[in-house]
Amino acid sequence: MKEKWNFILYLLWFSYLIISAVVMFGHGFLLSRKTLSDVSECVPLSSIGCDGREISNSTGGCSEDEKIRAILLNPDSPLVCPPRSQRVVLILVDALRYDFTEYNADLENPLQYQNKLPVITNLLGKWPNRTRVFRFMADPPTTTLQRIKALVTGSLPTFVDVSSNFAAMEIQEDNILDQILKDKHRAILLGDDTWARLMPARWHRKHALYSFHTWDLDTVDTEVDSKIYNELKKDDWELLVAHYLGVDHAGHRYGPNHAEMARKLSETNDRLEKIIEILPADAILYVIGDHGMTETGDHGGESKAERTAAWFSYYPPGFRADDGAIGKEVQQTNLAATVSAALGRPPPAPSLGYVELPVLPQMTTAGTLLCLTNNLKQISKYLLRYGEESQQVSLDRLTQLLNATRTQIDLASAVYSELELRHYIEDVRLLTDNIRNVFREVWVEFDSLSMLRALLLLLLAIFFNWIISEGVPIERIPHVFSSSFVPSGLIGIAVCIGVCYTAFTLEMLSDLEHAIFLSTGLISGVFTCMLVIMHWDGITQKWYESHPLFYERFARTALFASAAVLVSNSYIIEEGAVLSFLALSVIGLIAWNVRTIKCLGLWVGFGVSLALTRPYLGCREEQGDCWTSDSKNSSNASRAALVLALGSMAAVVSIARRYLDWRGYGFVIAGIFSCAHWAVGWGSLGSPGRSKMLARGAWLVIVCTFFLLLKRDSRGATMPLIIAGLSLYVANTLVLGAAFAPTAGLALLSGLFVLNIVAMIKTDGAGKSALSSRYNSSIACLWALLASYYFYGSGHHATLGHVSWAAVFHAGDPAHLVYGHALSAVLMFISLFGMPLMFGVTTPLLALWSRAGATPVGPRTQMAAVFSLCLKFSLCFAVRMFAAALSATIHCRHLMIWGVFTPKLLFEFGACVAALLGSFIGATLTAWHFTTQHRSS
Amino acid sequence: MFSLNNQAELRKVTISSLITCIYLPSIITVISYKDLLYTVGNGSSFYILVLIFIAELLKSFYLSSGEDAPKRKGSKNRAGDIIKASIYLLGVMFCFFVGIILFGAPFLDNHEETLMLSSLLTLLTVFPLIAHAGIEPAMQLLFGVKNYTRDTVVCMLVNNALWAVGGAWLGAVVIPLDWNKPWQQWPVPCYLGALCGYLMSNVLTVSKVTLMSAATKYPVLNIIVNCLDRLHMSK
Repeated sequence: MKEKWNFILYLLWFSYLIISAVVMFGHGFLLSRKTLSDVSECVPLSSIGCDGREISNSTGGCSEDEKIRAILLNPDSPLVCPPRSQRVVLILVDALRYDFTEYNADLENPLQYQNKLPVITNLLGKWPNRTRVFRFMADPPTTTLQRIKALVTGSLPTFVDVSSNFAAMEIQEDNILDQILKDKHRAILLGDDTWARLMPARWHRKHALYSFHTWDLDTVDTEVDSKIYNELKKDDWELLVAHYLGVDHAGHRYGPNHAEMARKLSETNDRLEKIIEILPADAILYVIGDHGMTETGDHGGESKAERTAAWFSYYPPGFRADDGAIGKEVQQTNLAATVSAALGRPPPAPSLGYVELPVLPQMTTAGTLLCLTNNLKQISKYLLRYGEESQQVSLDRLTQLLNATRTQIDLASAVYSELELRHYIEDVRLLTDNIRNVFREVWVEFDSLSMLRALLLLLLAIFFNWIISEGVPIERIPHVFSSSFVPSGLIGIAVCIGVCYTAFTLEMLSDLEHAIFLSTGLISGVFTCMLVIMHWDGITQKWYESHPLFYERFARTALFASAAVLVSNSYIIEEGAVLSFLALSVIGLIAWNVRTIKCLGLWVGFGVSLALTRPYLGCREEQGDCWTSDSKNSSNASRAALVLALGSMAAVVSIARRYLDWRGYGFVIAGIFSCAHWAVGWGSLGSPGRSKMLARGAWLVIVCTFFLLLKRDSRGATMPLIIAGLSLYVANTLVLGAAFAPTAGLALLSGLFVLNIVAMIKTDGAGKSALSSRYNSSIACLWALLASYYFYGSGHHATLGHVSWAAVFHAGDPAHLVYGHALSAVLMFISLFGMPLMFGVTTPLLALWSRAGATPVGPRTQMAAVFSLCLKFSLCFAVRMFAAALSATIHCRHLMIWGVFTPKLLFEFGACVAALLGSFIGATLTAWHFTTQHRSS
Repeated sequence: MFSLNNQAELRKVTISSLITCIYLPSIITVISYKDLLYTVGNGSSFYILVLIFIAELLKSFYLSSGEDAPKRKGSKNRAGDIIKASIYLLGVMFCFFVGIILFGAPFLDNHEETLMLSSLLTLLTVFPLIAHAGIEPAMQLLFGVKNYTRDTVVCMLVNNALWAVGGAWLGAVVIPLDWNKPWQQWPVPCYLGALCGYLMSNVLTVSKVTLMSAATKYPVLNIIVNCLDRLHMSK
C-alpha cells in the first residue's frame, strides 16, 4: 500500500494550492500599512540662540524673527516649536455633511436637512475674517473609528494597521494628544468614548459615553451639553474635544431627509450659537464632521456624499488673510498638522498633511515659514523611516520625493515678501499633495492583477480536483496514486520553486512569493489536467452510468447555495440561520430516503441539537434589536451557564468512556481537569491561579493523548479517530470558556446523529460497492455545512469586533513564554475555528463508522474511500472560499466591504485552513493505523 | 406517472385539479384586493383555512364518489373515524409545528404565526390523503410500507403534498434579506410559498393530462410530457 502516503501528500499539495492562492489574493486585496512608533520632537524657541543653533551661549540680543531666520538658513537644524498663544476647541459633529452647513434663502421648500444651520452663513456674512468654511474631504473607509485615527494622526488608516500589538485598540502612533502632552498641556474629552478607547490615559478630564446605541439620538448630546459650557469657562485646558453623535444616529435610524434630522441639526445650530457666544477670546473653534452620509444615512464607502464633510472654523481675533474661496476642498489629513501648529507643536510623526494656514491666526512671515519647514522636515523624516521599515513604496520613488522635500526646505530661507511667501505656500501644498497621493496609492488602492490571478488559480485547483474526486472511479484511485503521479507533481513544484528562486537571486524577478505561487499553481493545474485526460474514459463512463439520487443532487446544490449567498450582505449577516436551514434540509432528505422511524427520530434529535445552539448564536451590530439589548458578551459565566458546562462535559465523558479503550483515559482526565478549571475559577470566591494551573494540566493531557494516538491500533482507525475528535472537543470547550462550552457538546451530539444517519443509508444497486453511498460527495457537503454552521453555533460571528480575546488568557498569560506569540496564535485559532477542525479530523469516520464492525470491502478500497471523502470535504471549503473571494472582488467598492465582506473573507479563510488541516490530520491518522490491518489481513 | 388506461380516474384527477386551479387563485386574489395578503399569519385569517378545508373536503367527496359502496364499513363507524382522523391530523399538525421551529422559526414567540403555517401545511398535505384514502393507508404511505404508484389519485395527492412542502421551504429564502418589505414578515413568504407550490402542482397535473391526451394524436408532444414527468417530485 504505497499509495497510502501519496494520498496524504496529495492532500498536502491541494491544501498548499488553496492556501497559496488565497494568500496571493489577500496580498492584492487586504491593504496594510506599517505603523511606526516614532514621535515628533521639537526644541523650544527660547533655547535657540541668535545663530540658529541649540543652547548657544549668546544671550538674547535678537528678536524671535531673527532667530527663525537663522534657523531657516540651516536646513539640518532640528524642528523648532512654533510660538503658541491660542487654545483649541475641537467640536466633532459626527456625519456633518458639507451641504448641511450651506444656507440658501432662495429655497422655497427646503428639505429636512437643508437650511438648518443658518449660524454659519450669518457669521460668514458678518465677520468674513473670523470664519472659514471648507469641504473636509475624508478618505475611505469612512467609518468613525478610522476617521478619528486619521484626524489625530494625520495619516491614512487602512483596514489592517500592522503593528506589534494587534489586540489592543489603542493608537500606537504619534498623534495630536501625545504631542500636546509633551508640552504638559491638558486636554478635555466630552462625548463619544471611541476617543477614550483609542487614546486612553491622556486626558486631563474626560466625560466619555458609550457610542454604539445607534438608535439613541439624544443621550450623548445632552450629556455633552451639560458639561461643555462649564468647561468653556474654565481655563485649565489647551485642547477641548467634544464629540456629538446625534446627527449620525439620526442618519442611521431615519436617513437625512427626516424630521428627526431637522431637529438634530437645529439643535446643533443653537448649540453653536451658544458656544460662539461664550468662546474664550484666545480659543480657536473648529467644528468638523468626520464623514458625510449617503441619501439613506449610511456611511463607510467612498461615494462623494460620504466623503464630503464640513470644516467650520471661528476665531474672534481673526484669521490670517486669505483669498481662498469658501468651500474649497481640504483633506482631513491636514487637521492634525493644523491643530498641532495652533497649539505650538510640530505635526505628529506619521502625518501626511500640511498646515492649513487660512485657519490659523495671523503670523509673521518668519513664523509662517517656521511652521511650513517644520511640516516639511517631519514629512521627510517620515519618508525616510517608512522606507527603512517597509518596501511598499519603491525606493526610487521615495528618494525622488525626499530630494524634492529637501530642496523645498532649502528654499525657505530666500522667502521675504508676501508674494514670495504665497508662492512658497502653494509649492509646499503641491509637494505634500503629491506625497500623500503616492502613499494613498499604496494604502487605498487594490492590486487587481494579483487578485484576478489568485482567483484563476483557485478556480484551476477546484475544477480539476473536483473532476478527479467526482469522476475517477473508486477502483482506479489506488492505482492512480500508487503510480508516479504524486512524486512527479511534487518534483515539478520543487523545480518551479528552484527556477523562481534562481531568477530572484539573478534579479530577474522582483516579487519572489508571487512568482512561486503563480508558477506552482499553474504547474499543478497542468499535472491534474494531464491526469484527467489520461483517465477520461473512466470518468466519462462513470458519469454516464451514474444516476444520482435526489438527495445527492440536493446536497451539492445546498453547498453551492451556501457558497453563492456569500455574495449578498444580508445572507452573510444571517449566515448561521442559513447554514442550519440547509444542513437540516439535507439531513431531512436523507432521512426521507431511508424512511424508518428510527431515522426520523435521529433527524429530530439532530434538529433539536441545532436548535439548542440558537441561544448561543452571536449577534452583530447590523442585526439591530439584539445588539442593543446584548449582555451575553460578558466573559463571566452565570451560575446556570457553569452548571450547563459542567453537566455537558460530565455527560460526554461518562457516555464516551464506556466505548473507549485505554486511550480514552486521557480524554477522561482532560475532561475532569477542564471541569475543575471552570469550577475553581468561577465567581468571586474562585482562585484564578489554581484555575489556570488546572487548564494547563488539561492542555498537557490533550497533547499527550495526541502522542498516544501514534501507537498503532490493530482494530483499524475508527477508535483513534474518535479519540482525536473527543480530545479536540475538550480543547474546544477549554478555549470557548464555560459560557459557551455546551455548544461544543451539542456539536459532538449532532455530529454523532449525522454519523448514525449516514450509516443507515440504503445502498441500492448491486453494481455499487457497499461503501459507495458513504464517500459520496453529498455526505462531504453535509459535513462541511455542519462544520461551517458550528462556527456560528459556538457563539462566533464574522466580525472583527466580535472576536473575544479571552481564549488566549484562560491558562495564564502566554506572553512571558518563549513561544508566547505562537502559542497565543494557536489558542486563538482553536477558539475561532476549532469546530471546522474537529469536523475535519472526524471526516474519515463518515466512511468508517458502522455498528456492524468489519466492512465487507478491502482495506485498499476503504483507504481510497477515506481519501476521496477528505478531498471532497476540503473541496467544499475551497468552493466556499472561492465564493467569498469572488464576492469580495465584486463588491470591492461596496458600502459594506469593510464591515461585512472582508471580515467574512478573513473568517472563511480561517475556517478553510482549519478544515484543510483537520482533514489532513484525519487522513494521516487513518493511514497510520491502516498498516497493521493490512498486514494481518 | 399517469396511465391512460383508467379514463374515469384520469377525468376525476383532472377535474379536481382544475377546481383547485380556480379556487386557490380566487382566494388569493380576493384577499390581496382586500389588502389582507400580509395578514395571513394572524389568527384572524382563519377563514382562509376554513375555505380551503371545505374545498378540499368537497374535492375528496368528488374523488371518492364513483367508488363502490362495499369499501365503506357502514355509517356507525363514521363518527369514530372522524374523531380518529381529527386526532391524527392534530398530531401531524404538531409534527409540522415542531419541524418548522427546528428549521429556524422563532421558538419562544410568534407561535400563532407558526401554528397557522403548520395548519395550512397539514390541510394541503395530509388532509386530502386521509379524506380520500382513510387513516391507515395514509400512515402506511407516509412510512413507505405500501407502494402507491398504481393509484392515480393517491399519486396526484402525494405529488401535491410534496410540492406544497417544497414551496414553503423555498419561500423561506427571502426572509433574511434586509429589504424590510411587508411580505418578508414571518410566516408570509412560507405561507404563500406553500400555496403557490400546491397550485403549481395542480397546474402541472392539468397540463400534463391535457398534453397526454393530445399526444395520442400528435406524438411530438410526448417530449414535453417527458419533460413534465421529470418535474414530479414523488420519485
